[in-house]
Amino acid sequence: MKRIALIIVVAVFGTISSNAQITKVDQEVFGMDCAPCAYGLERGLKKMDGIEKVRVSLNDGKAYLDLTANNNLSLKQIQEEVKVNGFSAKNAEVVLEGQLIKEDNALKIKVKNEEYYLTSNTGQSVINSLQPGTVKVRGIVQDEEDGSLTDKWKIKITEIL
Amino acid sequence: MKNYFLILFVGLSIINTAQAQGHGPIYGLQTPTLAKGGINMNAAGMSIGTEDEASYMLRYTFFYGITEDLQVTLTTPTVIERLENAPRTRGNSMMPSNGDIEAALWYRFFSNAFGVGKRFESTAILGVSAPTEDVRGQVNVGNSVHGAISTGYASRVWYAWLGGGYQYYLEKDNEQLGDLPYASMVIGYRPDIFMGDYPKPDWRIFVESLAEFPGDNKVNGQFFSTDERSKKVLVGPSILGLTGPWGISFGALFPVYRDLIPNTPREKYRVALNISYWL
Repeated sequence: MKRIALIIVVAVFGTISSNAQITKVDQEVFGMDCAPCAYGLERGLKKMDGIEKVRVSLNDGKAYLDLTANNNLSLKQIQEEVKVNGFSAKNAEVVLEGQLIKEDNALKIKVKNEEYYLTSNTGQSVINSLQPGTVKVRGIVQDEEDGSLTDKWKIKITEIL
Repeated sequence: MKNYFLILFVGLSIINTAQAQGHGPIYGLQTPTLAKGGINMNAAGMSIGTEDEASYMLRYTFFYGITEDLQVTLTTPTVIERLENAPRTRGNSMMPSNGDIEAALWYRFFSNAFGVGKRFESTAILGVSAPTEDVRGQVNVGNSVHGAISTGYASRVWYAWLGGGYQYYLEKDNEQLGDLPYASMVIGYRPDIFMGDYPKPDWRIFVESLAEFPGDNKVNGQFFSTDERSKKVLVGPSILGLTGPWGISFGALFPVYRDLIPNTPREKYRVALNISYWL
């Protein structure tokens, strides 16, 4: 019985730890100046599977997104939605959970199909605190060209959660 | 001809010294295009008053965003009262002011979003029109083509647009309406009091100007009275209010300069009210 319980515990923890996902995105949006612009972007983001809550601020130039548990959304999908609304997606502050992997002296966090490479301006104390395996962090994802988005990003980790 | 270039030069100089360009004028050329898959519907009422008569027209315009940089529009009128002697003009960048049905493509060929709420962009418009009447101002009216280009700046506080266009009417039964080169300039401002964040209502005010240089009509292959062009400049205020998917704008233009060829009606005013809904 103990063995069965142990297997269940391991299986549950294993599932949780492999549940790599983005949970929060504060996406900077350039070029959005009017109420219908904000309305269109808000509506487009709300239609995406995996979005729980959206707030768009014209004065901040940001879309604040809470993602649902176990979502499959990628940052690329979110930034592409910004682009098809006619605006430019810039830096994004994200909370994400994924596998920390060391590769050729570089650290990256793998979240489903996306890879977030730690930038050199991530604090050394933060880097020292990171352990291989599942990590949950808050960070700033650097802007990439809207027309050539890939699944690779650069992230400055600001907090380990 | 000197006057023609002088007006253009003055207009361009003013624009080049302006600090901002914009979004949502009612008469001037503008640049924004819809989101990919976006739909926008407009219903407008407009009137042109001359020294002798006034026209009244309702107009419905449909926009669809094929991509975020390419949109198609279709506009159709309900003419309530036509002018016997109609001035050659367009209603605004979205629609003709006379009784034409028009389909157009808008292509935003340049866009640079460089800050919160800020962007430069340029858009080209190409359209074809068919008239809803046989005769306009005692001249047979044919189909027409319209092309325009505009560039602008948008921000949360300032807006500005500069553009120019050309409408050419095809000959019909040996008669032809004169062509129409025109230029527009718009400056917009959103006062502090209207800086409330979305979803609060969003208002802004514009000063719009329009310079038109309509050519003379041809009858039996000959110009009606001269091969010169009329020259007129109109200036006026407009206001645009937006809340969620709704928009309402109202504006008026008044002539401030005119040098008209014979038999050209003298305009007193243009007024327009437009209601928009974004699906």
